[in-house]
Amino acid sequence: MSEDFEPNIVAFLCNWCSYAGADLAGTSRIHYPANIKVIRVMCSGRVNPLYVMNALQQGADGVLVSGCHPGDCHYMEGNYYARRRLGIFKDLLEFVGVDPRRFHMSWVSASEGHKWKEVVEKTVEDVRAAGPFEGFRRRQIDW
Amino acid sequence: MDLEQLRKTAAEVVAKDDVKYLIGWKKGTYGYRVSPVFIENEADTEDLIFSPLCTANLVTYLTLVEKPPLPRGQKPDTRKVALMVKGCDSRAVAQILVEKGIEREQIIVIGCPCPGVIDVNLLVAKYPEVAENTELKWSGEDFVLIRGGEEIPVKREEVLAEKCRLCRYPNPVVSDIMIGEPVKPWQTEEDTGVSELEGKNVAERWEYWEEQFARCIRCYSCRNVCPLCYCEDCILDRLNPTWINRAVNFSENTAFHIARAFHLAGRCVECGECERVCPVKIPLGRLNRKLAREVRDNYGFEPGLDPDGKPFQASYKPDDPEDFIL
Repeated sequence: MSEDFEPNIVAFLCNWCSYAGADLAGTSRIHYPANIKVIRVMCSGRVNPLYVMNALQQGADGVLVSGCHPGDCHYMEGNYYARRRLGIFKDLLEFVGVDPRRFHMSWVSASEGHKWKEVVEKTVEDVRAAGPFEGFRRRQIDW
Repeated sequence: MDLEQLRKTAAEVVAKDDVKYLIGWKKGTYGYRVSPVFIENEADTEDLIFSPLCTANLVTYLTLVEKPPLPRGQKPDTRKVALMVKGCDSRAVAQILVEKGIEREQIIVIGCPCPGVIDVNLLVAKYPEVAENTELKWSGEDFVLIRGGEEIPVKREEVLAEKCRLCRYPNPVVSDIMIGEPVKPWQTEEDTGVSELEGKNVAERWEYWEEQFARCIRCYSCRNVCPLCYCEDCILDRLNPTWINRAVNFSENTAFHIARAFHLAGRCVECGECERVCPVKIPLGRLNRKLAREVRDNYGFEPGLDPDGKPFQASYKPDDPEDFIL
């Protein structure tokens, strides 16, 4: 593994907790790795597991999904559904042979800027260890 | 299985005014083949059979019915559809009822307790000669092959389909009419296909599936035959967004198989049809059974048992496992 591999990580953050948490980390000047590309969604329950699959297919080396803590969901129960779906999806990815370190899920609330930093650091570290994702990446045909 | 009783019951059902047709099995045109049959009048019920060769899951036909737009003034046909189900098929019916894919009043379920069906490939490999009037019957624990007037006993473990080795529900869970006596569930075998893969590490599993998915020709037979793949607007057919490109290459094939398996997570009733119809013999059942196992072990949920229950992915428990969450 080359030392200078910078992983490309797609993060789906829920609007109400994790996005605000990441925002807090920013306004509090907390340093965290810049490998995360944030996509804001209204709820972690909005994250279709096919998003994760498509991200991996289109060039991401890892995916992070983050939402409100159980019981704190703005829509009461969205994160419970997300937990179930993405939990089973993670099992599927692992069974197919995609490194489980590439897909992470976390609960980060709006006040947890520090936790956000830890989550990102852990994710980046894991994906870096797993290396560039070649797996089933969609190849651009070079005419 | 008492065929006389089956045909008599079928004739009674078909004779009713509010029944459109009955879906059952009949003897195929040659060899070991058995084909589905749609019976509309009483006389045709003589064709019906139920034997270890009846592997096909007829529940697919419930949701395959074409629904063309009706001419003005014409009322839709609201007559019922009757169909024969084995244990595994009945779970598919229950799961479709859970998802409200079909109304309970619209169907008449004729339950056939099933002592296990065969894998026709295994049977052909063992008895390749095809003769006129070939029949296979249950006899006690084993099967008996009737070919050209002679009876050949066939050992159960030699030809039994893989799904039946793992079957825990040989008796229909949903039925209006039961034919014959319930069978005693047998000792199931360890699901070696899944366990063996679970024992490998991630890289070895990837190697295994890479080889399997690379062979896929994307005929979509697995989707079309699946009793639970009945979305009118399947993501595979959708152009915007194009979840999965039409190109047949390894990347798209893998995406297709991940999407297919995921859409059946917590829904698959393990009827084994996808695996049976696959022209390139991809062990799709392993993907489905792995997810079914995770769902059963970690979430305590089993699809297709309670027609009044809730779908797995559209429900939750506050104490679902979350050890994978950072």
